[in-house]
Amino acid sequence: MATVEERVKAVTARVLNVDPAEIKPEHYFTVDLGAESVQSVELVAGFEVEFGIEMDEEEALSVETVGAAVEFITQVCKRQGVPIEEWRRPRRAARKDPP
Amino acid sequence: MTQPARKHPLVDATEPNLLEDTFAYDLPPRIHLDGQVVETIDGKPVAFDFAAVKDRDIHITDTTFRDGQQARPPYTIDQMVRIYDGLARLSGPRGVVRQTEFFLYTKNDRETLDRCRALGHAYPECTGWIRAVKGDFRLVKEAGLRETGMLTSSSDYHIFHKLKFKSRRECLESYCEVVAAAFEAGVRPRCHLEDVTRADIDGFVLPFVDRLMEMSRGVPEDQAVKIRLCDTMGFGLSYPGARLPRSIPKLIYKLNRECGVPSPRLEWHGHNDFHKVHVNGATAWLYGCDALNTTLFGFGERTGNPPLEGALVEYIALKGDLCGIDMTAVTDLADYLRSIGLPIPDNYPFAGRNFNTTRAGIHAGGLRRDERIYNIFDTAALLNRPPRVAITDKSGADGVAHWVNEFFGLKGDERVSKIKCAKLARWVIDQYEVEGRLTTISDEELEARTRELMPEHWARFKGGA
Repeated sequence: MATVEERVKAVTARVLNVDPAEIKPEHYFTVDLGAESVQSVELVAGFEVEFGIEMDEEEALSVETVGAAVEFITQVCKRQGVPIEEWRRPRRAARKDPP
Repeated sequence: MTQPARKHPLVDATEPNLLEDTFAYDLPPRIHLDGQVVETIDGKPVAFDFAAVKDRDIHITDTTFRDGQQARPPYTIDQMVRIYDGLARLSGPRGVVRQTEFFLYTKNDRETLDRCRALGHAYPECTGWIRAVKGDFRLVKEAGLRETGMLTSSSDYHIFHKLKFKSRRECLESYCEVVAAAFEAGVRPRCHLEDVTRADIDGFVLPFVDRLMEMSRGVPEDQAVKIRLCDTMGFGLSYPGARLPRSIPKLIYKLNRECGVPSPRLEWHGHNDFHKVHVNGATAWLYGCDALNTTLFGFGERTGNPPLEGALVEYIALKGDLCGIDMTAVTDLADYLRSIGLPIPDNYPFAGRNFNTTRAGIHAGGLRRDERIYNIFDTAALLNRPPRVAITDKSGADGVAHWVNEFFGLKGDERVSKIKCAKLARWVIDQYEVEGRLTTISDEELEARTRELMPEHWARFKGGA
């Protein structure tokens, strides 16, 4: 499963039509990524669909950066019992054959 | 730098003060009047007690069928009966709309009057309107009316240039003969002082009214002359300090306190040529006229008369009580009059299609949070007209969400958030940004798109519709 951050970036990239590789946690949706008024609402709607959650409108729309969105969505998912991958687990090291 | 005359410290608060003593929302905003108002008249200060209006028997009279009809093709008899029925709903049990006047000259005029009276409403009382001609009183008497208006033009423009009298005395004597004929016929004359705001007040109006008062002393009170002050060209001014003949305060003072015409026998009739018609009418109430003559939706000769529905809102605001008035009749009458071709502008207060419709997204956002922010009073309860949002590129998701909630009729927690309306909001924006649209989106278009883009909500709130 992709991490919350990856999924947030994917939705953001799709709604705002930007390259996901360019999106950084410190980016503001409006100033840095160019989200207009209706796009902010579309982003929140997109996050709800992506994660299968319901977000409070006022709280969700007050989130300004990608990183803050990741944190906020993580908290909502936990409250609503939605399973998520919070961070990418380090790839398991290749088992060495016993000597 | 100028020093402030007084400092104003912030009164900090953590709870809002919504000033509900004035803005109660279930009524039009109250008009609270404090203390006395002083006007300088003939060099002397004269006090007026505006607060007394709350206890005075101020009321509204109607001339929709007379002045109102002078501005349009004639109504049919059925139409007038329907309108009269609506006026009765607006009158309430106390007769706030006290009287309405009818022409009496044709068979249709008389049949209309008979059919309106046959409805059996206590208010508005039907009165007549005739020329200042002695023979016309026969019509009034035959119609069984107790009161009639009659033209008694008061400016020299009318006396000399229209009516062609050779002198003011000849004019005055002619009018008084007609008043005497009214008394003889047992009819109360209501003298319409046409063009009074352009008349020589000291030279003609006051001597004429003195004479009318003298004549009235010889008849029972219910027949004594009433005076209608006709601001025929809309020249009247409400400002303190304005000079006669345009000053409404001074005109009323002169008639009321110098000539002794009691307030119940004084009436104001205005015109809107200078955009002052409603405030001038309310001013007349405050300075001592008990009756304010109006027409539905202000429709009257040229620019129109004081709007009746505006006067009702003013009345309620001054009294602080609905007084049994059914204000939803305003909406019903507006719908009816539109259906028979009366052009009520969309932005016309209280009755226009868009009087409480916003197009701005930021206002729609306010409406969604608390309707009171951008609605003048509870227009849904009082006028059966909930506040609405017209959808354009300026409406934003807030506007679209407000429209959706109004369309589904959702209240409180049931209301749909704008997040759920994102697809519809996107469609709206694309109409303008992608399709290059320049017109407002109609309710029918939005309804179709709501069905398509919000199918779950449609199924939940509209069922199989």
